[in-house]
Amino acid sequence: MRLSKQSCFIQRMQPVDRNTKPRLDSVRDVRQRQRPGLRRLRVVLAIGYGGLLVLLLVSGANALRTLRSLHDAEEQARSRSLERRRVLTTVVLSASVYTNNVERILLSEKPPDDSATLAEVLQRAREALSAVKAYPTDRTPEEQDLLDHLQAYLLDQGDILRSAKAWNPQEFRGRAQQVVSDEIIPRRQQFVTIAQQIELLNDNESIAAQQATFSEFGRLQDRLTRLLVIALTSGLLLAVGSAIYILRLERQERLRYAELAQNRSELQELSSKLLDAQETERRSLSRELHDEVGQALGLLLMDVGRLSTQLGSDAKLQEMVQRIKTVAERTVQTVRNMALLLRPSMLDDLGLVSAVEWYAREVSRRGEVEVEVKADYVSETLPDPLMVCIYRVVQEAVNNAQRHARAKNVTVELRGTPTAVQVQIKDDGSGFDTQRIRGMGLLGMEERVKRLGGTIAIDSRPGAGTTIRAELPLTEAETGHVA
Amino acid sequence: MRKIRIVLADDHTLIRGGLRLTIEQHADLAVVGEAEDGRQAVALAASLKPDVAVLDIGMPNLNGIEAAKQITQGAPGPAVIVLSMHRDETYILRALKAGVRGYLLKDSAESDLVRAIRAVAEGKSFFSPAVSKVLLEDYMRKLQRTGAEDSYDLLTPREREILQMVAEGKSNKEVASILNLSVYTVETHRSNIMEKLKLKGLPELILYAVRKGIIA
Repeated sequence: MRLSKQSCFIQRMQPVDRNTKPRLDSVRDVRQRQRPGLRRLRVVLAIGYGGLLVLLLVSGANALRTLRSLHDAEEQARSRSLERRRVLTTVVLSASVYTNNVERILLSEKPPDDSATLAEVLQRAREALSAVKAYPTDRTPEEQDLLDHLQAYLLDQGDILRSAKAWNPQEFRGRAQQVVSDEIIPRRQQFVTIAQQIELLNDNESIAAQQATFSEFGRLQDRLTRLLVIALTSGLLLAVGSAIYILRLERQERLRYAELAQNRSELQELSSKLLDAQETERRSLSRELHDEVGQALGLLLMDVGRLSTQLGSDAKLQEMVQRIKTVAERTVQTVRNMALLLRPSMLDDLGLVSAVEWYAREVSRRGEVEVEVKADYVSETLPDPLMVCIYRVVQEAVNNAQRHARAKNVTVELRGTPTAVQVQIKDDGSGFDTQRIRGMGLLGMEERVKRLGGTIAIDSRPGAGTTIRAELPLTEAETGHVA
Repeated sequence: MRKIRIVLADDHTLIRGGLRLTIEQHADLAVVGEAEDGRQAVALAASLKPDVAVLDIGMPNLNGIEAAKQITQGAPGPAVIVLSMHRDETYILRALKAGVRGYLLKDSAESDLVRAIRAVAEGKSFFSPAVSKVLLEDYMRKLQRTGAEDSYDLLTPREREILQMVAEGKSNKEVASILNLSVYTVETHRSNIMEKLKLKGLPELILYAVRKGIIA
């Protein structure tokens, strides 16, 4: 970039009129050199945006998955805890029913004789045992330990009951009380303690599971936060990168535009200078022709005339003099025509309208085309550049009409307004397509009119003739002059 | 016999010298002054009071036409002949409007100058034959284009007679005495002519006459 800027600068330093072609080439070089850099930047930006998008998508999906698994784990922990509580409740209930029954039997007056009652009590014992066994199998060692205790307790109860069954009523009465107060009640207390311990354990486990969930959730939060920071940072970087890219493009565009505008104005200036130089050159050439060559020839003619009168009647000599005279006259005419073509001195002598009328008659005299001039309110004292401009426009238009369009009639209308001079040249020639044809003549006309701040419109269609309208503004000083 | 006194004005010394030589070959002509621009010519005309002033049409500091305008203002000033390289009616009409009596093309100056000087000194007009030719051609072409009739045919023989005399520089009074008519009648004829030919003023009338070859 810096390089290209520098080279642009160097190019601008170069004088305008020295070869413009290498200059254009070097501009093209600069553009080509800029291109790979731009392409790399474009690729980097594309990768950046793509990466950011992928990052966001992946992390979003990841977060969703984590959330779902967290949810599952929590659900599992909850149902596990519930299941255990439910089983434990069953165990406690059936154990207490069983214990109560054992106690009720032991506290009765006599040993249980009724095998049905026993069987029912034992059934309770089995229920309690099977409830213990139904406790979920994924037990922790502490749980297992406590469950073993529970089981042992239940089995102890059974043992007590079975041994009590063997007692005679006397024995029964004496020991049963003892057993109840020494064993059953403390053990029941113990049982309740164990059950509470299991419950506590269960609760602890549940809390632990919850905490695990929380910490997992916390980790997820951390991860997401990190990700967000990364995404934001890279997004910011990308935005900055894009902004730089856009700014660079903009600057390039501006540079290029400025270059273009400058080129154009330089061209305009150049062509304007060319026109000026041409007009000046023509004028001096014309003056030279008229003053020097023309006058010398005039003098020659006069001398020849005098010579002829003094020669007397020698026919041979007279013929020679006559020949000299003819050649000189023809040369005078040629020189004069050339001078007039170079600089219509009628503009100086007669003003714009008469000069245009003169030109129209000159052209008409040649017989190919009739040029008619209509003029309204045109000041006789117009500034020279304006007169020359209008005269040349008319000349060019009439010339085109005659030469290219093969027109038979041309009408030139001149009209003065307080602030401008308008000219319209209309022919009945073959016309042309204004979109496609832009000859040097037309361009020259436009150039002449534009550099005096005027406007020109060329209206033509194949087969429909051509109308050229131009309007040239008078500057304030000039309008004052006219008024 | 009194010589015709002449002032010559041309910005080119050589040409002026040539003209002087040509003129002074004739005993009845005398160059009394030479000017090298329009302003000087006007001054000389005022101080020397010549019979004829011969002016180049393109001179610095006041061109020939402007100088002619100033010289002919104080009647009866000198008769003015302009030397021009233009055979176009715009120039001729302008010269006529400036009061010029003779219009000479530079290429034929040598052969026609003396005749022209004598003619204007007598109060007549003089135009180079080549001028008449070009004017006539232009006129005919214009008639052809517009399809108009040559209005000259509309004039009566008497009117043609008067047209010629007026164009030659004769006053109404002179015309009246030559034709043995009253001045009033001549004036009436003259305005009829102007109307028929659609002319405005004496310069256009003279131009018309030159164009038609009525005078030369």
